[in-house]
Amino acid sequence: MFNRREFLNHCGAGFGALALAAMLQEESRGATDGAIKVLHHPPKAKRVVQLFMAGAASHIDLWDHKPLLEKFHGQPSDFGEHVEAFQDGLGPWMKSPFKFSPYGQCGKMLSEVVAPLGECIDDIAFIHNMVGKTGVHSQATYLQATGFQRPGFPGMGSWVSYGLGSMNDNLPTFVVLPDHRGFASNGPKNWGSAFLPASSQGTTIFPQRENPIEDLRPQSKFITPSSDREGLSLLNQMNQRYAQEHPGDSRLEARIRSYELAAAMQLSAPEALDISGESEATMKMYGLGRPGVTYPDEINPAEEAEYFGRKCLIARRLLERGVRFVQIWSGNDNSFPRRNWDSHENLAREHGPLAQGMAVGSAALINDLKQRGLLDDTIVLWTTEFGRMPSSQGGTGRDHNPYVFTNWMCGGGIRGGISHGASDEWGYKPLDRGNPTQVYDIHATILHQLGIDHTRLTVRHDGIDRRLTDVHGHVIKEIV
Amino acid sequence: MIRNVVYVVILLTICSKRSLLADDFFTKQVAPILAKHCLSCHGRDAPKGGFSVQKSDAFFAVGHVEPNDAASSYLIELITPVDGRAEMPKDADPLTEAEIAVVAKWINDGAEWPLGFELTVAKVDDFNWWSYQPLRRPQAPESNEAWAQSPIDKFVLAKLKEKGLTCSPPADRRALIRRVTYDLLGLPPTPAEVVAFENDPDPLAYERLVDQLLESKRYGEHWARHWLDVAKYADSCGYDKDKLRPNAWPYRDYVIRSLNEDKPYARFVQEQIAGDVLFPDDPDGIVALGFIAAGPWDFIGHVEVSEAKLDGKVARNLDRDDMVSGAMNTFCSLTVQCARCHNHKFDPITQEHYYGLQAVFAAVDRADRNFDADPVVAKQRRELKEMLEELLVARTAIESGIVEAGGKPLADANTTIVELEKLLQPTRPPEHGYHSQIEAKPEIEKWVEVELPAEVTAERIVLHACSDDFNGIGDGFGFPRRFKLEIANDLGEWRVIKDATGDDFPNPKIGALSINLTKEKVRRVRVTATRLAKRMNDYIFALSELEIYVSGNNLAEGATVRSLDSIEAPNTWSRANLVDGKWPRAMDTDGEQLLVEAMRNRDQILADVITSEIAKRRSAMGKAIAQIESELEALPQPQTVYAAATAFSSEGNFHPTNGKPRNVNVLVRGEVSQPGETAVPGVLPLFGESQYQFGNDLAESERRTRLAEWLTDREHPLVWRSIVNRVWQYHFGAGIVATPNDFGRMGAEPTHPELLDWLALEFRDNGQSLKTLHRIIVLSNTYQQSSDDTAANSAIDAGNQFLWRATRRRLSAEELRDSILVVSGAMNWEMGGPGYYLFELEKTEHSPHFEYHKFDPTDKASHRRSIYRFIARSQPNPYMTTLDCADSSQSTPRRNETLTSLQALALLNNQFNLVMAEQFARRLEKGSSDLSSQVKEAMLLVTQRAASDSETKEMADYARTHGLPNLCRLLFNLSEFVFVD
Repeated sequence: MFNRREFLNHCGAGFGALALAAMLQEESRGATDGAIKVLHHPPKAKRVVQLFMAGAASHIDLWDHKPLLEKFHGQPSDFGEHVEAFQDGLGPWMKSPFKFSPYGQCGKMLSEVVAPLGECIDDIAFIHNMVGKTGVHSQATYLQATGFQRPGFPGMGSWVSYGLGSMNDNLPTFVVLPDHRGFASNGPKNWGSAFLPASSQGTTIFPQRENPIEDLRPQSKFITPSSDREGLSLLNQMNQRYAQEHPGDSRLEARIRSYELAAAMQLSAPEALDISGESEATMKMYGLGRPGVTYPDEINPAEEAEYFGRKCLIARRLLERGVRFVQIWSGNDNSFPRRNWDSHENLAREHGPLAQGMAVGSAALINDLKQRGLLDDTIVLWTTEFGRMPSSQGGTGRDHNPYVFTNWMCGGGIRGGISHGASDEWGYKPLDRGNPTQVYDIHATILHQLGIDHTRLTVRHDGIDRRLTDVHGHVIKEIV
Repeated sequence: MIRNVVYVVILLTICSKRSLLADDFFTKQVAPILAKHCLSCHGRDAPKGGFSVQKSDAFFAVGHVEPNDAASSYLIELITPVDGRAEMPKDADPLTEAEIAVVAKWINDGAEWPLGFELTVAKVDDFNWWSYQPLRRPQAPESNEAWAQSPIDKFVLAKLKEKGLTCSPPADRRALIRRVTYDLLGLPPTPAEVVAFENDPDPLAYERLVDQLLESKRYGEHWARHWLDVAKYADSCGYDKDKLRPNAWPYRDYVIRSLNEDKPYARFVQEQIAGDVLFPDDPDGIVALGFIAAGPWDFIGHVEVSEAKLDGKVARNLDRDDMVSGAMNTFCSLTVQCARCHNHKFDPITQEHYYGLQAVFAAVDRADRNFDADPVVAKQRRELKEMLEELLVARTAIESGIVEAGGKPLADANTTIVELEKLLQPTRPPEHGYHSQIEAKPEIEKWVEVELPAEVTAERIVLHACSDDFNGIGDGFGFPRRFKLEIANDLGEWRVIKDATGDDFPNPKIGALSINLTKEKVRRVRVTATRLAKRMNDYIFALSELEIYVSGNNLAEGATVRSLDSIEAPNTWSRANLVDGKWPRAMDTDGEQLLVEAMRNRDQILADVITSEIAKRRSAMGKAIAQIESELEALPQPQTVYAAATAFSSEGNFHPTNGKPRNVNVLVRGEVSQPGETAVPGVLPLFGESQYQFGNDLAESERRTRLAEWLTDREHPLVWRSIVNRVWQYHFGAGIVATPNDFGRMGAEPTHPELLDWLALEFRDNGQSLKTLHRIIVLSNTYQQSSDDTAANSAIDAGNQFLWRATRRRLSAEELRDSILVVSGAMNWEMGGPGYYLFELEKTEHSPHFEYHKFDPTDKASHRRSIYRFIARSQPNPYMTTLDCADSSQSTPRRNETLTSLQALALLNNQFNLVMAEQFARRLEKGSSDLSSQVKEAMLLVTQRAASDSETKEMADYARTHGLPNLCRLLFNLSEFVFVD
C-alpha cells in the first residue's frame, strides 16, 4: 500500500536520497521497492513473522531441558558467583513443573506444554545462548524489538519495511497483532517507525474491533455508501485540478494516489481478516474449533489457544496477501490477574496455559505455511525479552534471567532440527560465556536471509548512521 | 577518524638507520591499525583479557606475538576472519586484508617496537570545521538589483547567480497572508483578514500584518511546539508503566509565555539550565527546568531497582545521557552523546568531555518541584525560609546550651526516652496483607477466606486491619465499612459469627477486632465485605491478618487463602500475606507507663537547668519561629512543576541527592561495569584547552550555572548559529544547515555560511529577539517569493536548496487539527493548564491504558489547540502520529513530511474529522440559509480563496444530494487545504 511516492519526503534530511524520478517510475509496478534498490545478495526469505512473548518466557520450562534441576530440586542454589537478581530470585533450585520428552528426528527434548510444536521440531533451529543487557522489562523489550534498550528507535519490522518496501498495494507492509488484553511493556513504541518514514511503522490490527485498522471505515450516520463514493470522486476532481494548476510538484499527484490506495485497503483489509471461509479442519488446527464457547475466569489453555491461534491464522492470511512483516504478541502489561509470562509467583499457573495456547497457534502457523509452500520463504522467529532463573523466588515462581534465554527460528532458509549455542547445565548463563548470541546476531541473520547486509541498511539521524544492529551483529552461520 | 593516534616519545634514543625505518613502519602503519581496532579495549588500566597494545612490555608479555613468525602468532589467528567473522575485534567489523598484511609483515620483520613508544587514544582536538570557527560579521554582497533589498536577499541572490538560478516573482497577497499566518501562528487567516489585506493600499500593509501576527498570543503557542519537539516534551514518563506526569505542563506554558514575551534568548537558555540559581526570585527560573526533565524516564530502573545494582546504574547513566544530549543537541547542535562509549569518531569530543558534561547533571533528577507563580510570593517565601533558617540555628544554640548544662544526667534521661519510644513505636511491616481488586463504587461484595488443613475447635478469631500511606490513609486502610464474618466446619455448614452488614462499622485502625467463639468447629473462616472502604475515588477491601486461635495458638499462619479476587502485588499485597504473621502492631501499655516516668524524670532535671532567663529567650524564640511558620503557612499554596530537582520525596529506590553530586566515572566502552577515572565536571574546549573543566569540588548549582554561562557566551561559535538556523528552517522548510541538531562533521554544511553568520550576529547583538529575527526573515523578498515552479530553475536545483522560490509545505499534524477546529468554528482559545485528554484513561493504578478509540471527540474540553493536549509517550496519538507528529522520545529538530494511505484514511474517517465536519456544516447553516452561499463561505474558510462558479456548482450539487456535512468532510481532505503555497 505504501507507494514510495507517498512517503516522498521533499525535505526530510534522512531521505533526501529518495529520488523523485525513481519513485515515479515505480508507479507502474504492482508493489513498491524500499530504500534498497538492489538486494545485497540473493535472498532466502521474503517475509517474517515475529512471535513475541511479553513478560519473559522461561527457556528452561519450554525448550531448554535441564536434568540437573530435577536432581537438585529444592536444594539451596549456588551459582558460584555473585548474582544480581531483579527481585528475590535466588531461592532453591527449582525443576520445571512440566515434563520433557523427545520429539522428531532430532530427538529434541520439549516441555509437555509446547508439545504441539513437536510436530514441526525438525524445521526449527533453537538458539539457547541468547544474552540480554538488562533485567528491566521495558529496556529489555526495546532491545529485542528495536535493537536499542531505550525509546526512540524503529522496530525490526520498520527497518525491514523501509529497506524492502511493500509486496502489495492494498495492505500495510508491517502489521502488528497485539495481545488484545493490553499492550506489552512500551506499547506501540516497540513497533514505531521513530526516525524512519511513517509508512514503515507497524500498523496495529485489532480484528475484533469494528474498525480493525484505525479509521478504516467512516463511522457516522451522515455518511452513506453513495455519499462516500461520490464524495471521493469529487475530492479526486478537485485535487486533480489543484495538482494541474500547480505543476512541478509530484507530491500533489502522490497525494491523489494515496486516496486510491486507501480505497483499495478498505476493500482488502476486511477480506484479509475474515476467517469465516476457513475450513473446519483449519479452524480446529488453530485452536478455533469451538465457536461460541465460554471460558472460566481463571487462565486456561483452551482460551489461550483461541486467542493466540486466531492471531496466527490472521497472520497467515496477511502473509498470503503480501504483508511482509507480522508481529504477534502474547501477554499484556503487568496488570492483575496476570496475563503475561512474568511468572514471579507461580510459574505453572501462567506458563502452562500461555505456552499451550502459543504452541497450538504457532505449530498451526508453521504447518499451514508449510503446506501452502510459504514456509520456504517466510521466517518465523520466536522471542521474548529475557529468560527466567533456574532458582525459585522461594515459592513456585522464577525471577528474571537476562543472562541467558532462548530464541528459535524456522523457515526462510533456516536449518531445522538443530540447537545452536548452549546454556550451562543450570540454564543460568551461556555454556561458553565468551561467545553468546545477542539480539544483534538474530537481527543480522534475519536481514541476511532477506538479502540484506545488516551493516549496509543505514539511515543518517542526528549525525549518526543508524542501523538496526547498531555497531554489532554477526550472521549466525550455523543455522542458515 | 581525525588524528586518531599520537605517539608519545618518552625516551629519545639513538637508532640505526635500519631500525629507524622499521620504527617508521610501525609508527606510521602498524600503530594506527592497533589503535583503531584494539586500543579501546586493550589499553588503559584494565585491558580486556589481560592483553594490552599500549606499551611494548605489556604487548609482548602474554605471548600473542612470535617475532619473525606471523603464521604462528596467536594475534594473527585472532584477527583473521573466517567466513567474514574474526575472533577480534569483538562486536566490530574485522580488519581488512591489507591491514592484516601490514601487521603480519611487521611481525615477520621482527616485530620491533620503537623503544619507549606508547600508543594512546589521541585527544581529538581538530577544531578545523566550519561550526567551531568564531563568528565573523560578513559584508552582504553588493547588489544594484531592486529585488535585493535586505541583506538576506543580497546573500541569497549572490548564491542564486553563482548557481545560475533566478529568483521567483512575489507570491500574490492571498498566498502570502496564508503562508505568513501559518508560519507564525500555525493557523489559517480568517476570510475577513484575507480580504482586508488584499485590498489594503498601504505599501506597508505587509509589515503591519507581520507586526500584528507577532503580537498575537497564538504565536507563542505555535512556536512552542517547535521548541518542545526538540526538547522531547511529553506528559508521561515513557518506558515500562509509562507513569503520568501531571505536572509537566507548567514547563510547556513557560515556553509559550517566554516566546510571546519575546524573552532574550540568552535569558531563555540560562533559565532552562540553571534558572533556579541565576534567577531565584523569578518563578520562571524553576519552571524552566522542566527542559532538563522533559525527556523519557525509566520508572522501574529508578524506583524498583536500586542505584547499587547494575540495572540501576544503567538507568541513571542513560538518564543523565538524556539530559546531556538534550542540552547539547538543543543549544549547541552537537551530538555529544556519540562519545558515551568511545571518543566521538568525527568531532573533537572525548569521553572525558562527555562524562564531564554528565557530571554537570550529577546531582539532579526528574521530579515534582514546588514554585510560586507569583514572584512576590516567591520572594516572600525565600526570605521567610532564610529567616526561619537563622532562627532555627539560634534555637539550636540555646538547646545545646541546655544539653550542656544538663550534663550526663540529662543525656541519660534522654537516651532512656529515645529507647523507650523506639520500643513503643508501632510496627508496620512492608508486607501489608490481602487487597481486593479496585471498584468504582462501594456497594460490591468481596470475600476472602482462610482454610485450615484440618478442622479445629477454635476459641477466637482475630482480624487486623492494614496500614498503607496511600492517599494519606494510613492505619485501617481498606477495612470494610460493612462486612460479615462466617465460619464453616468440615461438613461445609456456614454460620455467621459477626454481622456488621447493617450499619457502618467503626474502623479498628491499628487495634485488632477479636471475636470469641464458644468451642466452635472451624475449618474455614470467611470475611465478606458488603460495603467497601474508600481508597481514592474508588473502593477496595483489604485485610492484614486473620488469626484463628486454638488453645492460645494461632493456627491460621500459613493456611490456604482464597478470595473472590486479589491484586496480587508481591511483596506488598498478596493473599498469602493474610496469614503471614505480620500486621501493624501498636505499642504495649506497660512500656507506656515507663515512658511517662522517664519523661517526668527528665523534666525534673530540666527544671533545674533552665533558668528563667533561658526560659524567656527560649519562649521568645519559639514564638518567633511559630510566627514565621504561620506566615509561611499563610502564603498561597505553591504550584508544582515536573523539573530537574535535587530535593523531593523518595519513592522506592528513587532518592534525592539533596544537592550532593553523584560520582560520575568515565565509563570504558560506556559500560557501567567498567568505570574508569572520575569525570571532572566541565564543558567542551571550544575556546581552547584551558578552563573547560570546572573542578570536582564545585557545588551542584554552580556546575549548572557555569554550563548556562558557557552556553550563552557571546563568543560561542555554536549557540547563536544553532538558534537562527532553527528559525530559518521553520520558515523555509530547510535550514541553512540541513541538520539542525548536528553541526558536526556528520551533519550538513551550510548552504549560505555567510548568511548564517550574518543572522547569528544580527540576532545576538540586537536584543536576541526571536520576533525581530522572524520579522527580518519574513519581510525579505526571498521569503515573499511565489512557490510556483520554474522549469529552468528546477532543472538545476530541484530541491530548492538555494531558495529560488518558496517551498510549498504540508501542514503539520497540529496545524491540521487546529485548522479543522478553527474552520468548523469549534476552537476554544483557552490558554494553558493541564493537558486535555484525547483518550479514555484506564488502569492508572498500574500501567495506564490510553484508549484512543474509546474517546468521544464531541467533548468540548478537547476543542483546544493541539499544543495543550496531553502527550502520552508510550502510546502516541495514532491520528497525530499518522500525520507525522514528533516522537516525544527522540529530539525532533524537523518533522518528516509523508503522504500515506493511512493519512488519507485518517483525514477521511477519523471520528474527530467527522464530528468537526458536522460542526462545520452547522456553522455554515447558521451563517446563511442559501446553499450556494454556504458552499462559497466554506471554501473561503478552508482555502482562503473564492470558489469559481463551476466549483461552487459542483460542490453545491453534491451537498444538495448528500447533505452539507458530507461536503465539509471532503473539504478537510483538499490538497489545497493541506498544503501551504
